[in-house]
Amino acid sequence: MIKKEMINRNPLTTLGYANQDVMPNGGLGAVLAHAGLGKTALLVQMALNTMLQEKPVLHVSLNDAVSKVDVWYRELFNDISEGNDPAEIQMYWEKIQTYRFIMTFRVEGFSVPKLEERLSDLMQQNIFKPHTMIIDGLKFDESGRGLLVELKEMAEKYAMRIWFTVHTHRHEPPKEDGLPLSFLHVADLFDVLVQLAAKGPEVYIKALKGQSPDARKDALLLDPAKMLIKE
Amino acid sequence: MKYDDQKIRNIGISAHIDSGKTTLSERILFYTKRIHAIHDVKGKDGVGATMDSMDLEKERGITIASAATYCEWNGYEINIIDTPGHVDFTIEVERSLRVLDGAILVLCSVGGVQSQSITVDQQMKRYKVPCIAFINKCDRSGANPFRVIGQLRTKLGHNAVAMQIPIGLETELKGVVDLVEMKAVYYEGENGEDIRIEEIPGHLLDEAKAKREELIDAASLFSDELTEAILEEKEIPPAMLLAAVRKGALKREMTPVYMGSAYKNKGVQSLLDGVTYLLPAPSEVENIALDMNNNEEAVVLSSDPEKPIIALAFKLEDGQYGQLTYIRVYEGTVEKGSTIINVRNGKKVKVGRVVRMHADQMEDVDLLRAGYIGALFGIECSSGDTFVSPGLNMTMTSMYVPKPVISLAIVPKDNKSQMSMSKALNRFSKEDPTFKTHVDPETNETIIEGMGELHLDIYVERMKREYSAEVTTGNPRVAYRETITQRADFNYTHKKQTGGSGQFGRIAGFIEPVSDAEFIFENKVFGGAIPTQFISACEKGFQQSMAKGPKLEFPITGVKVVINDGASHAVDSSDMAFQAAARGAFREAYLRAKPVIHEPIMKVVVESPTEFQGPVMGLLNQRRGMIIGSQDEGVMCVIESQVPLAEMFGFSTILRSATQGKAQFTMEFAVYRQVPQSIAEKIALEAAQNKKTAA
Repeated sequence: MIKKEMINRNPLTTLGYANQDVMPNGGLGAVLAHAGLGKTALLVQMALNTMLQEKPVLHVSLNDAVSKVDVWYRELFNDISEGNDPAEIQMYWEKIQTYRFIMTFRVEGFSVPKLEERLSDLMQQNIFKPHTMIIDGLKFDESGRGLLVELKEMAEKYAMRIWFTVHTHRHEPPKEDGLPLSFLHVADLFDVLVQLAAKGPEVYIKALKGQSPDARKDALLLDPAKMLIKE
Repeated sequence: MKYDDQKIRNIGISAHIDSGKTTLSERILFYTKRIHAIHDVKGKDGVGATMDSMDLEKERGITIASAATYCEWNGYEINIIDTPGHVDFTIEVERSLRVLDGAILVLCSVGGVQSQSITVDQQMKRYKVPCIAFINKCDRSGANPFRVIGQLRTKLGHNAVAMQIPIGLETELKGVVDLVEMKAVYYEGENGEDIRIEEIPGHLLDEAKAKREELIDAASLFSDELTEAILEEKEIPPAMLLAAVRKGALKREMTPVYMGSAYKNKGVQSLLDGVTYLLPAPSEVENIALDMNNNEEAVVLSSDPEKPIIALAFKLEDGQYGQLTYIRVYEGTVEKGSTIINVRNGKKVKVGRVVRMHADQMEDVDLLRAGYIGALFGIECSSGDTFVSPGLNMTMTSMYVPKPVISLAIVPKDNKSQMSMSKALNRFSKEDPTFKTHVDPETNETIIEGMGELHLDIYVERMKREYSAEVTTGNPRVAYRETITQRADFNYTHKKQTGGSGQFGRIAGFIEPVSDAEFIFENKVFGGAIPTQFISACEKGFQQSMAKGPKLEFPITGVKVVINDGASHAVDSSDMAFQAAARGAFREAYLRAKPVIHEPIMKVVVESPTEFQGPVMGLLNQRRGMIIGSQDEGVMCVIESQVPLAEMFGFSTILRSATQGKAQFTMEFAVYRQVPQSIAEKIALEAAQNKKTAA
């Protein structure tokens, strides 16, 4: 039940991305938004979706502690599975938890070689092999193109896809294609781009790049309390 | 007694073994005139250091359980509180750390940051205790305080900044240069009590200037006033510099470093100045109580002596006059003759004698105000209890006490040990609510129960040390539990006709799993199929069955029993008959309800240098552990995981050898989770074997 429900509510398929996987091996995707609109929540929701399909997700956070990231997952999972039998929720939670690994770095201590070292530690010992990686909190305006290129190479090498949160600034007007100036230098490296935008009290989600041609073009409404797609 | 909250310092002194913690305490007591002669730890006079009041401590030259003690320095009152050294986080350790507002981290100028320093530092970090460092033993050959400052930065990640530089090192150590005042300080006289302040010697002037620049630079981050003064190239007054350093130290973003040699009586007075200038007063530390009337909601305490009392009993001691209870007052004033209430049991207590402690001597006082530490006489309580004024319902520690997850059989070696053992057990269970003890009715063995292997080890060790009770221990046993996974019906008739009055009772209904309760009983019998007076006997019978599963004999949890039909006999039915019927019904249904074994899963957090992250994760993974995540914290990393308790035996030794002793871990109970099938089979086999040997 829970599995079906979650997959049905996957914001990306609803938004018109062709299949669950959205991106190929080595693909990069990003969620762009101002602070506080729910980038992390959206990515955690996608991660939960992936975990329910029994595909491992590595969540790399450059802001929060492991325990805080864990709370994100727990709360969103509880929100989505609300109304189901508590025993079933617990069972699913225990099951999917094994498909998640959280790594946190201090922003200044983060580098691709370091991440790769940690990752190979996990892979060599057969502890964890991610299908999807989420990197939350990377500063795109400060880290150059080089870092992204390295990450893309790493994604290709390990046959995974990486999602990023991109913090856009309110004072910075977007270009015609909706992309902020500070992101343009790396935009071509990305296969999928999704934007969250606030209009009054409501938050909309919009596909900027990578959806299938026959997909719906309009933006979907998100429930700002839970960051779930409103029916 | 004076009442100025701003002039109180409640501090701990933490250090690696043998870096001179006791010698330093001894010197502090001497300079603050609490003692009038210095007795060295392993001194030839045979008196021993004052803080080591237990015979064993004096004999071996180590501090086992030093008491809380207080002294005065320049009008400031300093309470020095014992910080237990054991690595494991028992509730007791946690409590002792809670009452500290600040700490001195003592390091050896030769040994530098050693493994225990890492441990104590992490304890401080966990409880957000601001600290200043003291680099001791600068008189030793090979002393290099600046190397130690470097290690503080790289190994512990402190923003360590020298407040002084030494004048001479090793045997040439004469004194220090105070980088705030820019003066040379010499400690002279037989015991270093005469302080001579001079101009900085010429050959040290350049170095002193450079180090002062570093200090100002680091401190400027915490004070706009100081930054402005630097930009305007004004003279920087010492008070301004100290205020900035203090801000950084209180936020734990800067660690001011003092240096000297306690043994050679150098630098201790300046360190005391540092304690009074830089460590926080009680009201500058945020203390939190839990409001029991409001679902244990956190409430920030104000440290106001006029408010109702909130005080925490953090340590108990058996003295010649009965139990001595150390308390820290967080709010209000505890006066002789006032009435306080123990929140745990609601008992009213009248305060009798109030004392302040000085190692093993004491001084009577009339009252203890918010921020103060003292001791009460003749109060019956457990350590960790909160005392409040009547009408208040707040507690300093959560009332939630987790159930023990591990047990160990202990056997005293002889009769004398038997006596001491029961004394010790009585005491420990009073001190620590997570430590329990009982006698197994089947084997007649004394069983101790607790929250982990280390937790029990510490108590066994303390039994030996403090009560000289020699005991042998059995293998630790994990507290497994059983539960059911599906609904099963029952319809059971208990019938016995063996002469005398017969027994008859029939019960029908079903059992089903529940996740949020241990046992629920529901009566849905209508029309008197089971007469009302026997319903409670039915409940009792079912409840009895929960104590031990029919197959593996582990306690059963999470079962809802519903009875909806039955039958009785006018003469032969009785309470006994229905209890027996309930037990039979439970046995019948239980095995069909697909029982499974649940095991305690521990939250295991390993703190390790980054280079060992891979091996540590491997170790956890081998133990059926699920790694939640890893947190990179510069030189150290923190790995969070959930591991079955059954796999954690001996982990500390294995972890030590895999990480050159540089990693440490904490373990606490997280959740009960179903045991995988293969393991369940093994447990069933073991249980069967145990049963056989017991028989």
